[in-house]
Amino acid sequence: MTAEPLALRIDGVSKAYPNRGLALAPTTIEVRRGEFVSLVGPSGCGKSTLLGMAAGLLAPDSGTVEAMGQRVGGPGRERAIVFQDAALMPWLNVRHNVEYGLRAQRVPKAERRTRVAEALEMVHLDRVADRHPHELSGGMRQRVAIARALVLRPEILLMDEPFSALDAQTRTVLQDELQRIWLETRPAVVFVTHNLMEAAFLSDTVYLLSAGPGRIVRRYEVTVPRPREESDPRLVDIRQDMLDRLRSEVNAAAGRGDPDLAPADALAA
Amino acid sequence: MTTNTADGGAPGAAGASRAARGARRVAMLAVRKLWFIALILVVWWLVTALGLVPAYKLPSPGDVLGALENAIRERELLGALWDTLLRLVTGWAIGVACAVALGLLTGAVPFLEDGIRPVLAGLQAVPTIAFLPLAILWFGFNATAVLVITAFGTFKPMALATYGAIHQVPPTLKMAGRAMGARGLFYQRTLVLPAIVPSLVTGLKLSWSFAWRSLMAAEIIVSGTTGLGGVLELGREINAIDIVMAVILIILVVGILFEQLVFARLERWVNRRWGLVGAR
Ligand SMILES: Nc1ncnc2c1ncn2[C@@H]1O[C@H](COP(=O)(O)OP(=O)(O)OP(=O)(O)O)[C@@H](O)[C@H]1O
Ligand SMILES: [Mg+2]
Repeated sequence: MTAEPLALRIDGVSKAYPNRGLALAPTTIEVRRGEFVSLVGPSGCGKSTLLGMAAGLLAPDSGTVEAMGQRVGGPGRERAIVFQDAALMPWLNVRHNVEYGLRAQRVPKAERRTRVAEALEMVHLDRVADRHPHELSGGMRQRVAIARALVLRPEILLMDEPFSALDAQTRTVLQDELQRIWLETRPAVVFVTHNLMEAAFLSDTVYLLSAGPGRIVRRYEVTVPRPREESDPRLVDIRQDMLDRLRSEVNAAAGRGDPDLAPADALAA
Repeated sequence: MTTNTADGGAPGAAGASRAARGARRVAMLAVRKLWFIALILVVWWLVTALGLVPAYKLPSPGDVLGALENAIRERELLGALWDTLLRLVTGWAIGVACAVALGLLTGAVPFLEDGIRPVLAGLQAVPTIAFLPLAILWFGFNATAVLVITAFGTFKPMALATYGAIHQVPPTLKMAGRAMGARGLFYQRTLVLPAIVPSLVTGLKLSWSFAWRSLMAAEIIVSGTTGLGGVLELGREINAIDIVMAVILIILVVGILFEQLVFARLERWVNRRWGLVGAR
């Protein structure tokens, strides 16, 4: 086997939904421990599907997923997931939302308290701990969702477009925070995004997926040292290259008359 | 909101004007909530005072009030009301608890729900009171049979409401819970149950009215049980339409009070806690 220990090994995994045809063609991705990996690709190419299978929330039709050397058959303690729409529990305040997973995993009360406080501090939410989700801004809610995952101290953090519902400023702030937190805690991350700059800025490795059914068309290694600046010319170059590839992907798909896809210009965001 | 206390010499005046404003607000509220009831009373009174309908078919408001007073004094109407309310709340609570428990336990397993749900939906078409003879054969011609019928009348709509609510829980919320390691009873108790509370409130109101229906029907038939239904039946036997009207009035007032004091508050609290739009 390889000398480098893997956090996540997605091996020939594919998925079809009933009456929808193939959503994701057999795909293989390896994520090293502590590596930051992004998945980008046209809408509907199966990114969320792939992440759902890595999380153990969806069963693959073919192939296997291994997390920290163990075959994945469902959710597990070494993995945590952040969804696009935060998916917080509206009846619980911020503190209890963050505490929920620890309760589910039967962590003793005293330890729960210190870990929740620590996680809230990490995302700068300690001052709104007693508020309910509807009393928070979209950016704050997304921070809660991140804190709720971090508090579980996952070795693998799965993030499905966690910033896509946010305005540009909030997004930049949270990207910086995510980079800092990742440098501090060093989980392996699989990060799904539509934003190419975001992918280049945050990642060690970016996988570009084709239009549905998704398959990997290109792999980028981003070796720019951290902490990074978005204006770094090397990142700008990588983004441009990804954009060109994606354009041709989408145009090829449009030639096939795939109705699921947006016009190519929507990707320039 | 801010009262003018700068002219420190007259705190009493400020207090008085605040009291006056408070009184005005209460009066406005009373007008808004009571005008329709007042209108009905006036029409009712006019119809009887002008002799448009004979008194043995529609007694005047005054007669009904007199009968009400009389019934409270001589026929222990308040005792009957108390017995009925107790039976109602107990039967309703049992029905609700069973329905929610069944919904949570079987809603989690498609195989169970698929089998049970059509039967429940079919039962919805059978009036609860049709089961009274069965309940009497099983439990006797007594208050237990009445209570069982009330609980069953509550259970049917509430169980369907629970299934409906479970299917409305957002999928990402369920996935988030499972991904964090919530399973089994913990998952049902801490995720599904609280998540369905807002939609359950509607079911609670609906099943409350079903509980009233089945309870009244059962009380009227199972004579000998104390309660408003018994008083209604007695009123019919002795041709005392004013007593019958008085009981109907009591049920109406209880209904309004419960709606205003219990359900409206519950709804407000849920809307605030669950952060639903339109919360006040
Ligand atoms: N539960 C489902 N049932 C049926 N089809 C589905 C389901 N979920 C996804 N699909 C289909 O599978 C394909 C891939 O969906 P998926 O959500 O994984 O795409 P995605 O890459 O995450 O898209 P986006 O970037 O828009 O989030 C799409 O064509 C979608 O319509
Ligand atoms: Mg998606």
